[in-house]
Amino acid sequence: MTITKHKSILLFILLSILILLAACGGVPEENTSTQASDKVFAVADVLTLVAKENDITRTLYTKGIVGAGKKQGLKFDEDWQDDDVEAGPLPALFLRGISSDIRKSSTPLGLYLGSDFPINASNKFQGKQASLFEKIKATKRPQHFYEEDQKMYTSMFADLAVAAPCVNCHNDHKNTTKTDWKLGDVMGATTWQYPSDSLSYKEAIDVIKAYRNGTKAIYTAYLEEISNFKVDSTKPAIGNKWPSKGFYLPTAEVFIDSVRKLTSYESLEKILLADNTSSKETTTTSDLAAN
Amino acid sequence: MFKKNPLRKRQHTGSLIGIIVTIIIYCILPLKPAEDLLSLGPMNTGHEGLSCNACHTDAKGNLVQQIQSNIAYAVGMRKKATDFGTENVDTKKCLECHDRPNDRHPTHRFLEPRFKEAIASINATQCETCHREHNGTRVVLKNANFCMNCHYDLEVKNDPIDTPHATLIANKQWSTCLQCHDFHGNHIYEVADRLKDTIPLQQIHAYLKGGLDPFSSKKKHLPLSEEEWIALKKDYIDVQK
Repeated sequence: MTITKHKSILLFILLSILILLAACGGVPEENTSTQASDKVFAVADVLTLVAKENDITRTLYTKGIVGAGKKQGLKFDEDWQDDDVEAGPLPALFLRGISSDIRKSSTPLGLYLGSDFPINASNKFQGKQASLFEKIKATKRPQHFYEEDQKMYTSMFADLAVAAPCVNCHNDHKNTTKTDWKLGDVMGATTWQYPSDSLSYKEAIDVIKAYRNGTKAIYTAYLEEISNFKVDSTKPAIGNKWPSKGFYLPTAEVFIDSVRKLTSYESLEKILLADNTSSKETTTTSDLAAN
Repeated sequence: MFKKNPLRKRQHTGSLIGIIVTIIIYCILPLKPAEDLLSLGPMNTGHEGLSCNACHTDAKGNLVQQIQSNIAYAVGMRKKATDFGTENVDTKKCLECHDRPNDRHPTHRFLEPRFKEAIASINATQCETCHREHNGTRVVLKNANFCMNCHYDLEVKNDPIDTPHATLIANKQWSTCLQCHDFHGNHIYEVADRLKDTIPLQQIHAYLKGGLDPFSSKKKHLPLSEEEWIALKKDYIDVQK
């Protein structure tokens, strides 16, 4: 009888614990709402989309701000954030700034810039990136692969010499490793990473948002740097006008608005065409297999 | 019918003492003055005086929910485990106060595939690889030669220093890097152009162990204080509401 009584007590305690545990409900799991059926985008397509936005943004910055700004006397430097340097970010560092800001967001997107002839040796491609970059230089086509060690879907896109400032600055730089760059050359490649093979609408939009917020953040940081210039005459007027009109710089809103005007149509079209993913996924899979 | 065991009284007394001691411990340990007792070791330089929960923030859910979630994870009914008690203190948490726009070596930069081999030697994607807390120091690495993992093939054009970088690298003098360059690039100072004028290695080692800052007292960006961090977090929560 005592043994039966003990068993009952034990059973009662066990049941109580189980009920208590089950009744509370667990800690809500993140992303539980994203079902497999919601994943309408192949990762390579989203990275292609955002890489295209990056091309447009950087071209606008390089031509509209750096190229035109230099003619007005604005300076751009790799040490632009140093206290004794009164300058703005060079296009490569503009991208680095975007990349850093993306990392602060909750979007797990990675963005990097590299080359086989970089000005800063730490930006030189190595290993798989170096061999795929050879393919990119030959074909100008993007390369998609799965980085096994990091468990990251990775895409590389050609970074072209789209404007005279790219070529001139790199050829003339005191630490350059190549002096015969010309317009249209593949000067490097952007590398993008994302941890899953497919994305929902929300996740795809989050990727675009993270990139655009990054653009705004680095451009705003540039304007803040200008506000700390010691001599007022070196500060351009910041408003609606661009450097092509004189000693001006657009506000962050004006700059981002121009980026939006140039990119949104194409991005929206790609998002709306997401239903045709089955054929795209086939392409992506074959691309991955090739690499 | 049954004879009471004479030891029963001692058992009761023992239980009572146990319960009282537990209650006292339960009440005292969460108090601020008791934090030193709970700490695994002395706080790192600059972190003295921080509250435990500045880094060890409460994990999501209550204890019962956390137990249930982790049991569910253990039996495969959940994709991810959940933090138990307090949240894991990771790089993201460090960056809430220490993120700087001018960081020369931000952790995320080393996530790129090209740094795969370097990361195998020193995982620079995580703050705690170098800055492990509760050690009363700044950097826990034994040697200050970690630059070699990425910069082993460095070539400097128009080298400004009297002993060229090529010579230093050929001689494997990797501990000299920090005599000119602060790793995160946040100090404001003039770099010497003669090796003998650079910061002596002993001072660098003392600094890494938690001593005086030999680079400069001026910094471009300061980390958030605990009060600033709390205020920022409160603003964020208010915006979320």
